[in-house]
Amino acid sequence: MSKQTIKKIVFVLTVALMLTALAGCGGGQTDVTEKDELIVATAYDAKSLDPHAVNEVAASNVMLQIYNTLVVLDENGEVVPSLAESFEQVDDVTYKFTIRKGVKFHNGDEVTVEDAVFSLQRAATSPAVANLFGDIDPDSFEIIDDTSFTFQLKGANTGFLYNLVHPGASILSKKAVEEAGDNYAMNPVGTGPFKFVDWKKGDRIELERFEDYFGEKPAFSKMTIRAIPEATNRTIELESGGVDVAYDISANDVDRIEENEDLRLNRLVDNQTQYLGFNNQKEPFNDKRVRHAIRYALDIPAIVDAAWKGVGDVAIGPMSPNINYFKADIKQYENNIEKAKELLAEAGYPDGFKTKLWTNERQERIDMATIIQSQLKEIGIEVEVEILEWGSYLEKLGNGEQEMFIIGWTGQSSDPDLALYGPLSEETLGAGANFSFFLNDRVNELLLQGRRTPDSPEREAIYHEIQDIFAEELPWIPLCHGEAVVGTQNYVKNLELTPFGFHPLYKITFGE
Amino acid sequence: MIKYIARRLLMLIPVLLGVTFIVFTMMYITPGDPARLVLGESAPEEAVEALREEMGLNDPFLVQYFNYMKNLIVHRDLGISYVTRQPVMQEIVAAFPSTLKLAGSAVLFAIILGIPIGIISAVKKYSIFDNVTMAFALIGISMPVFWLGLLLILLFSVKLKMLPSSGYASFKHMILPAVSLGAQSVAIIARMTRSSMLEVSGQDYIRTARAKGQKEGTVVLKHAFRNALIPISTSVGLQFGSLLGGAVLTETIFSIPGIGRLMVDSIKMRDFPLVQGSVLVISVAFCIVNLLVDLYYAYIDPRVKTQYK
Amino acid sequence: MAEANAIAKGKKENKSNSQLMGVWIRLKKNRLAIFGLVILILLILMAIFADILAPYGYDEQNLQNTFQTPNLEHPFGTDEFGRDILSRIIYGSRISLQVGIIAVGIAVIIGGFLGAVAGYFSGKVDNIIMRCMDVLLSIPQMLLAISIVAALGNSLANLMIAVGVSSIPQYARIVRASVISIKNQEFVESAKATGSNDLRIIFKHVIPNCLAPVIVQATLGIGLAILTAAGLSFIGLGIKPPTPEWGAMLSGGRMYIRDYPHLTLFPGIAIVVTIFAFNVLGDGLRDALDPKLKQ
Repeated sequence: MSKQTIKKIVFVLTVALMLTALAGCGGGQTDVTEKDELIVATAYDAKSLDPHAVNEVAASNVMLQIYNTLVVLDENGEVVPSLAESFEQVDDVTYKFTIRKGVKFHNGDEVTVEDAVFSLQRAATSPAVANLFGDIDPDSFEIIDDTSFTFQLKGANTGFLYNLVHPGASILSKKAVEEAGDNYAMNPVGTGPFKFVDWKKGDRIELERFEDYFGEKPAFSKMTIRAIPEATNRTIELESGGVDVAYDISANDVDRIEENEDLRLNRLVDNQTQYLGFNNQKEPFNDKRVRHAIRYALDIPAIVDAAWKGVGDVAIGPMSPNINYFKADIKQYENNIEKAKELLAEAGYPDGFKTKLWTNERQERIDMATIIQSQLKEIGIEVEVEILEWGSYLEKLGNGEQEMFIIGWTGQSSDPDLALYGPLSEETLGAGANFSFFLNDRVNELLLQGRRTPDSPEREAIYHEIQDIFAEELPWIPLCHGEAVVGTQNYVKNLELTPFGFHPLYKITFGE
Repeated sequence: MIKYIARRLLMLIPVLLGVTFIVFTMMYITPGDPARLVLGESAPEEAVEALREEMGLNDPFLVQYFNYMKNLIVHRDLGISYVTRQPVMQEIVAAFPSTLKLAGSAVLFAIILGIPIGIISAVKKYSIFDNVTMAFALIGISMPVFWLGLLLILLFSVKLKMLPSSGYASFKHMILPAVSLGAQSVAIIARMTRSSMLEVSGQDYIRTARAKGQKEGTVVLKHAFRNALIPISTSVGLQFGSLLGGAVLTETIFSIPGIGRLMVDSIKMRDFPLVQGSVLVISVAFCIVNLLVDLYYAYIDPRVKTQYK
Repeated sequence: MAEANAIAKGKKENKSNSQLMGVWIRLKKNRLAIFGLVILILLILMAIFADILAPYGYDEQNLQNTFQTPNLEHPFGTDEFGRDILSRIIYGSRISLQVGIIAVGIAVIIGGFLGAVAGYFSGKVDNIIMRCMDVLLSIPQMLLAISIVAALGNSLANLMIAVGVSSIPQYARIVRASVISIKNQEFVESAKATGSNDLRIIFKHVIPNCLAPVIVQATLGIGLAILTAAGLSFIGLGIKPPTPEWGAMLSGGRMYIRDYPHLTLFPGIAIVVTIFAFNVLGDGLRDALDPKLKQ
């Protein structure tokens, strides 16, 4: 070691110290009138920007800014044309779409009817979005002229039009997809208000305003979507002005943001239902009285409040109130320990029993499980809580190894079919989201009927009956609905929240 | 020397083969169906089955392993991620630099702070400085990285609002993560420096140097420190290696999209090719760091060099 | 103490009791080590008498009484379920000590055996075993432990196995090195000459004589194992609620760190104190057992 080396070390040390000191300075306030960039903090990075490769909220949230779908929902929740100029349902299973003329992709090409057909065909055959578009018969597409085409479903499905609103039905450039091959997910080409610029995996996605967008021009030219998984960090970034919008604000930061004069909290109950499930085919849960007893033993508002700290809403039925044909006046159960004990005794378990309650690693679910455990102790049911990792959890639920479990189910459109068919039908038993192995012939028949029946009072009656039977049978106990809790700077205006978890950020404007 | 390096690199091959085999086996026995995880609970069973077939998950274990290795060796391809459907290499290239940067700055921090503390403690043995710093070093070694990280966020981001709590874009962003990841290494390196210096200072040549009337500073830095450098550099190398692997907790706390988090997330999603790829890359990095440390030995200690002939 | 007994057992054969006394005397002079020893004894007592010491049960919820800051009734405050943090920390000492000791036990037994066999037989056996150890060593310990827990599933037992298995190579290396240095010494040669079989020699002569470095490493290793386990449960692997594992408590409390830092503060301090105790005792033992023994 020579003197020079020592000198070098001293030099590096000094520089490091100076830099540290400098780092303390900096920062500053944003001038709203000049503001031309929107920075959004989300909880997860998108997995892919290929709409047919994945079906998850973080990806959908970005896709919504880049792509357009043929139809969208208007303020009243009605399906209206977007990239399509018009559409009609020709018969039970046939749909006809006419696309808008002169719409450009980000690469400058004009949208053709081939692009639309290509996109929907690709959606119909992609496993990732099979739950939404698997009903489309991929061989039935027919191009009528340069702007219109038809296709058919494998079976009538009234809720189908609502599925087309999902970013999974985005229209892609056929040429861009074929040219990019495996790399398409990193080089998405859409028609939306923003075009893709850069993606630092796990960190941020950068978008730029698309000047040839056919719709209303966004108020800012640059959008950055950052992934910040730690909820605390998202709030800190919002407070320090590092981001304009922060998704998924954790419950214990709600007050902090509400009290902060510079910030605003935006909330909307979403389409997710968290529930306590039973294995309806295993003893003792195959006995309705036991399920009722457990329901009477639980103080659900207290559970929800303790675990979610005021975020979300206590669930009174199997689906979120946002969803069409929601029925509010179904049978309700109060918290009544005596009645619970009575029912349990009637069912032959006067001293209770031992059972296991499964959940995955999500903190709120663990919290709910922990409280349920202690509430059921009061009627003699000894619950062992087991936390499974998501992968094993899904597999074991599918195999029917569970006794009790906590999971969530999200209706991916506002149609009741997507909200109820999965967790209640015979077809989805086990492998497809009916994890409580609930088998009820009447419910199953109604579900199939509801799917085919066009929107009408008759369809309403069908879904109301399902909700009534559900409340009586109680194959699983609805606990709560989720809520989109998004914090923004005060100057962020026109943030429209959707119950699906992805939001049209391009509509935001800045103002005092 | 070149022969030695070549031999060491060759020895890496069986080790890495072993690593792939262990990881592959472990992933195979892990419960959970990747296809189901990719598609989610709402996907129909037929879609899941189709994807399973496409991913080759229905093949017997050895066939899967063989296909993977063939792809790896023949095409030098780490495969396609199950979840994102993009090349594993691309995912790793995106994540690895931030981990490298994190571990690198942590080690740098540890060296800058640890070595001077160690030297001063050794020179002023049993002084207040020595006692205080060594007590802190002991606490530092016992400090869980994630706890220190949380405390630093609480102090510097929340209370003082001086430093950002997430991200890795700038030097400012790296300070808290590097400090919390490097704190333990500061302690280890300081202790190591101190004890090596003390050991060396008892040797004859140091006494000779002093007897010859050289300045104390020269004696300490030129003679003692130079000789103590071997154990110190070993410990620095080992620290760097273990920081690469241990960075996952720091990455979690500070929302840094590094390879540790990539691996944990891909284990959770049963994204086998991505797990396999990231473990492999970390292991290679780990082995190369060890090799560099060994080579460095040879460079600064001629006695070791002769053994390589 | 267990360590002292183990030392006694191992040394009896070839070394006299006075040497053991020497170790103790040297250890006693090291005030820091004794401090660590005292803390550990207190911790062990705390773990054993948790039922008597803890003012509340570790899973006793009180939803009307959440997030209390430290007060007379709850010296360390209460957590998000209104559980008494002090009581959970006291019960948590059971978990942490259990994890540390069993994990290191697994590593010492398997690693020690493999190392002894490798060192004693040398040649091919040595080569195969040590190459396998190299493979394990080239996967960073934290990552190896993570994938083992993922493969085996979340449970306390699997957590111990994961931490244990991932530290096997360290012990194999240490034991191998000291076996190699011992096996050519006189008493081993003479045992060989009298025709004892290999296993007998390994167990009766070789292993007891390389206990010193293993004890030192194990003492330090328990601390490290507790730290690794806490890290794993911090990222949500391995622990079921309401188990009061310190790492899991820390992880659960981090969401509330801005308003209620006591949720993370106390479990953190518990971890630091415990590991500190193991570290200083390990250091002290190293110096006491053999002033020249390093690393």
